[in-house]
Amino acid sequence: MQVNLLDFWPRILEATQETLLMVSIALVLATVIGLPLGVALVVTRDHGLMENKIVFNVLNGVVNIFRSIPFIILLVAILPLTRLLVGTSIGTAAATVPLVLFSGPYIARLIESSLLDVNKGVIEAAQSMGATNWQIIYRVLLPEALSTIALNLTIASIGLVGASAMAGFVGGGGLGDLAISYGYQRFETDIMIVTVILLIIIVQAFQAIGNYLSKKLRRL
Amino acid sequence: MINFKNVSKVYEHEGEKLVAVNEVNLQVERGEIFGVIGFSGAGKSTLVRLVNQLEKPTEGEVLVDGQDVSSLSAKELRGMRRKISMIFQHFNLLESKTVYHNVAFPLILSGEPRDKVKKRVEKILDFVGLKDRANYYTDQLSGGQKQRVGIARALATSPDILLCDEATSALDPETTQSILELLRKIRDEYNVTILMITHEMNVVKDVCDRVAVMEDGEVIEQGSIFDLFTNPKHKTTHKFIQSVMKGDIPQSILIGIGENNHPRHIYRVTFLKEHAGEPVFSRIAKRFNVEVNILYGQILEIQETPFGNLIVELQGEDSEILKAVHYIEEVVSVERVMASAS
Ligand SMILES: Nc1ncnc2c1ncn2[C@@H]1O[C@H](COP(=O)(O)OP(=O)(O)OP(=O)(O)O)[C@@H](O)[C@H]1O
Ligand SMILES: [Mg+2]
Repeated sequence: MQVNLLDFWPRILEATQETLLMVSIALVLATVIGLPLGVALVVTRDHGLMENKIVFNVLNGVVNIFRSIPFIILLVAILPLTRLLVGTSIGTAAATVPLVLFSGPYIARLIESSLLDVNKGVIEAAQSMGATNWQIIYRVLLPEALSTIALNLTIASIGLVGASAMAGFVGGGGLGDLAISYGYQRFETDIMIVTVILLIIIVQAFQAIGNYLSKKLRRL
Repeated sequence: MINFKNVSKVYEHEGEKLVAVNEVNLQVERGEIFGVIGFSGAGKSTLVRLVNQLEKPTEGEVLVDGQDVSSLSAKELRGMRRKISMIFQHFNLLESKTVYHNVAFPLILSGEPRDKVKKRVEKILDFVGLKDRANYYTDQLSGGQKQRVGIARALATSPDILLCDEATSALDPETTQSILELLRKIRDEYNVTILMITHEMNVVKDVCDRVAVMEDGEVIEQGSIFDLFTNPKHKTTHKFIQSVMKGDIPQSILIGIGENNHPRHIYRVTFLKEHAGEPVFSRIAKRFNVEVNILYGQILEIQETPFGNLIVELQGEDSEILKAVHYIEEVVSVERVMASAS
């Protein structure tokens, strides 16, 4: 009944790869959504560079709605959309869709708060030099916030590792799937422990990489 | 060069109106260093920010080189801003970039070619004395060095006007002096018009040609720095002058004045511009039968002219003293100090 851990290694390695892949792809796509959204939230707010109440309120509301749905519910609720986008509702690719929708708005908030931290005086100085709004965004706001953004994206990526484990419930693949289908449903304690250890290592590695990048990006 | 015509700026805050700048009329001439002094909240920052349109006036107009700045299109305004640089109390440098990049920043914004940028930045860094700090980051610099970077950045685009918002307020007295010296050098070598605001009389006294005193959004007095010192009309102006020149007579001197039956002759002598430096006391000592005893005083140098305030006691016959006072009144202002004075 018990699975031999040694024989099981290839399956564990494969699951690790799946997790890393899911998290990376989701992180990249979520950032592609979250970054412009975060920038838009910052520039359209009151006293922002391109103050616009309507745009701000709409974006703010949409982000809030997504942020208030628990991941596990989002996962199930958007199954039809997932099927539409990737043609299937199970597997690693299918799990990526809810992960992106889950962390995109989250990353938007993180980017927003990173950008709001940028010294207002520096923005004003750029304005006084005759910078355009776009120049201020990509030559002042983003470079000055980059180090903070790196740290915040690390937080997001670790959140994604956790969420990707939950994706196991819909057969999303990855370490979470493994832990649930063997460790939890079949009482394979060994596998459970191994997957948890691997998840810990992944999180530690992400944090270390994030800290390193953040330090590097402090000085451009 | 800069002309404020009946300029007002009103902020609305939760339905309440706050008049930050109130019907200000000022004319800053080309090539001069014009100071605006006032206590906190007087509206100085608001006034200076109207020049480069970081704030828009609610009424009146601000003319720069004859151009009403609030009538400019966004694009014209950006062009104008490249000719009006600004330095700040807290420097406002890019923390993620080197000194070199900070100074290059305004040139990069206007799309200058790389080699031209390099030449210009090196020249300016040399001018402000930071050539060897080009590759430092701002957190590796002292406050004075940071302000030099701020100044270098402001000069990079060869501006006609330099706006200084409390540029030395975060610096110690010695560093303040070195920055002020640099500002004077900029005016002399580049013929830049400088509008500086401050709450420190010391700063105004040392570099400004003319000065305006602000209170509650209004300009309450303006004139050459020397006139302001020698003939302040407003109480606030007086306060600022007292911050660098003690007009009060120390208690220890006042105590002795009325004690004897024989009242002492104590006078406050103020030197005025034309006669500063004249040897009035030795003259009256020679000409009249009086002795001069200097009790207290202070001489300041304002725009390379000594200006001061001396408390002296004249000893001798009453009639001789009277004659002596009449004599010096021709060239200095003399005021009897009474025991009740304080
Ligand atoms: N954006 C703003 N909104 C509302 N009120 C403002 C704003 N900016 C300035 N004020 C008000 O205008 C008045 C003048 O402010 P200002 O900053 O010009 O003073 P200041 O003379 O520069 O003072 P300080 O020496 O403290 O810098 C103050 O009462 C201030 O509260
Ligand atoms: Mg101010």
